[in-house]
Amino acid sequence: MISLNQKTSDLSLKKNHALHGQSMSGAALIMQVVVDEACEVLFGYSGGAILPVYDAILRYNIAHKRSDGREAMPLIVPANEQGAGFMASGYARASGKVGVAIVTSGPGATNMVTPVRDAMADSIPMVVICGQVPTTALGSDAFQEAPISNIMSSCAKHVFLVTNTTVLEATLRTAFEIARTGRPGPVVVDIPKNVQNATLCFDGQSRLPIPGYRKRLHKIVHARLNDADCYGFFTAFSAARRPLIYAGGGVVAAGAAPALRAFSASFAIPVTTTLMGLGSTDTTTPLALHMLGMHGAAYANYAVEDCDFMLVLGARFDDRVAPVPDQFASGAKFIAQIDIDPAEINKVKKVDWQHVGLLASTLERLTRYGIAHGVKPSPKAWQAHITTLKSRHAMNYNRDSALIQPQAVIEEINRHSQGRAIISTGVGQHQMWAAQYFDFAQPRQWLTSGSMGTMGFGLPAAIGAQCARPDALVIDIDGDSSIRMNLGELETVTSYGLPLKVVVLNNLGDGMIRQWQKLYFESGFIASDRSLCLKDFVKTAQADGFTWTRRLEDKALLASTIAEFLAVKGPAFLEVRIDPDAEVYPMVPPGAAYTQMLTGKYITSRSAPPASADETRPDAMF
Amino acid sequence: MKHTLSVLLQNESGALVHLVGLFAARHCNIDSLTVATTKNPAVSRLTMVVQGSPALFDQIVRQTCKLIDVIDVSIPSLSSHNTTMNLAERP
Repeated sequence: MISLNQKTSDLSLKKNHALHGQSMSGAALIMQVVVDEACEVLFGYSGGAILPVYDAILRYNIAHKRSDGREAMPLIVPANEQGAGFMASGYARASGKVGVAIVTSGPGATNMVTPVRDAMADSIPMVVICGQVPTTALGSDAFQEAPISNIMSSCAKHVFLVTNTTVLEATLRTAFEIARTGRPGPVVVDIPKNVQNATLCFDGQSRLPIPGYRKRLHKIVHARLNDADCYGFFTAFSAARRPLIYAGGGVVAAGAAPALRAFSASFAIPVTTTLMGLGSTDTTTPLALHMLGMHGAAYANYAVEDCDFMLVLGARFDDRVAPVPDQFASGAKFIAQIDIDPAEINKVKKVDWQHVGLLASTLERLTRYGIAHGVKPSPKAWQAHITTLKSRHAMNYNRDSALIQPQAVIEEINRHSQGRAIISTGVGQHQMWAAQYFDFAQPRQWLTSGSMGTMGFGLPAAIGAQCARPDALVIDIDGDSSIRMNLGELETVTSYGLPLKVVVLNNLGDGMIRQWQKLYFESGFIASDRSLCLKDFVKTAQADGFTWTRRLEDKALLASTIAEFLAVKGPAFLEVRIDPDAEVYPMVPPGAAYTQMLTGKYITSRSAPPASADETRPDAMF
Repeated sequence: MKHTLSVLLQNESGALVHLVGLFAARHCNIDSLTVATTKNPAVSRLTMVVQGSPALFDQIVRQTCKLIDVIDVSIPSLSSHNTTMNLAERP
């Protein structure tokens, strides 16, 4: 470890940590590093192989008693480790900080695989600390042993198995560094029990040498657009008549929303965002086109078809956005892309101009250059076209139905929250209705499992978000099937007195699956119809300690019920029996181009009815 | 089409699994693989031959460059200055 010593000596000029040189257990050291890395709350479930760390949490809180009676390092214990993972993810998504989850070996760690993969797919910074059997027992099929470093290495940004006690501290600090730098992601640290129990000397700042990663990151962080790059960009922009920005989750992750808003405003460029990018622009502003893609707004998808210049920011032409890459934005003569990840450039669609670097500073540089060189805003005719698209092809649904429409529920909640609530969701129809009908004034208000599409995400993610933002209005918009997946976490809400609002849009089954079965499988509702299931969600919530619970079945009571529900000070649970046949539109069929978008009965389409579903390519049916 | 790839990797348990796991997950079969430590015992050199289209190979090289344990990637068939960074940034 020659280079490690070198690194340590490089840092020797810095002020030493107050605890530098102190002797402590590995578990206490883990706790101290977590505190040093600005972690405010832990999510986790205990178990044999992680007990030393849990004891260290207890001792830390005893030693750091606060005058207000709250714990110095609060610990939220879920019903299942998967819950802890999604809580840490929800915390990270709502705050931008690294979420920390601590679980035991074997089943504790394998229950964490789904949240880790979910965080990787959505680029969410997390550090997951797993207990492991003692190093002497590794590979012996010991009780509660699982090969976590192997399993997680395929799912996480990085995984460490700490077998050398002397590098425990450096490893954990490096895990936080990797999680939050570059394109963020989850890092798993697998720590055998004997390492937790070892007596170690605390350093306070040691890190592992990761020369390749740091060298590449340094280059990306310091990449600057030169004048020729800016000139090339604005030459194409000025030649364009119909420019459009397609912004993804990278804008949120990079904290680049203010830079994006300034850039868009300076040159009057309309912005459409991905599911993950919602909130990067204020969705109520004239140039905001809300979401594009499979269930994006019709007007956003039309704008994609109509644009002749596209700027792609922190987005990756995912198959839900660009199902047929060749035909995506086919009118765009020039596509420019800015991303922090070199592997995302030209991965799906070739671009004409690219920059690998930090989004905020790059956009600020472009804005300055454009203003200094008198670049004109986009043509008035294009801005007027956007306004026309938005009014002519506005979102709409069956407003005259006697049954409660899910979109009406979202609109009613939105009337109260005014784009300021933090919304989490499960996965399926309710997720898409929430994405389509909520306004988002700011980034980090929209917490959803975008890439992995993990049902059961909503409730634990909302718990994590409420921990990050104790005073914010946090609402879990869930589906009856999605909430079932982590229903045990209802009890976690009340156990910790979190003022969460839980809405279950109950359509008696897996609505999105039924929608696809209607379209592509002759309405064979196998496994997706739960109309015979006897679950009483209201009684379930009551059993888990919710004192305000309600089942809403009468459309006439919608407005008054929502008002009462949102006015509750503590936790509240609302089940809404919605029209079970309500569908999500628009819909670009899987594997089809935007020209084949179905807008349904209530949204005006600008073209003839598209080709039937059976023209979809068989290999694209997912 | 065959491609040869040379990777400098931190010599740590799990690093090799991480790297070959990436190739397996992307359905890219490895025809040959040699790994040995270099003069610096903290660093291994890995040489591999894989089959695939140029586009697949280009993408998998970029993905390889993202692995934390990877120090450098080079392609011997290209000239010596084609190291990780300019490969990764190649349009």
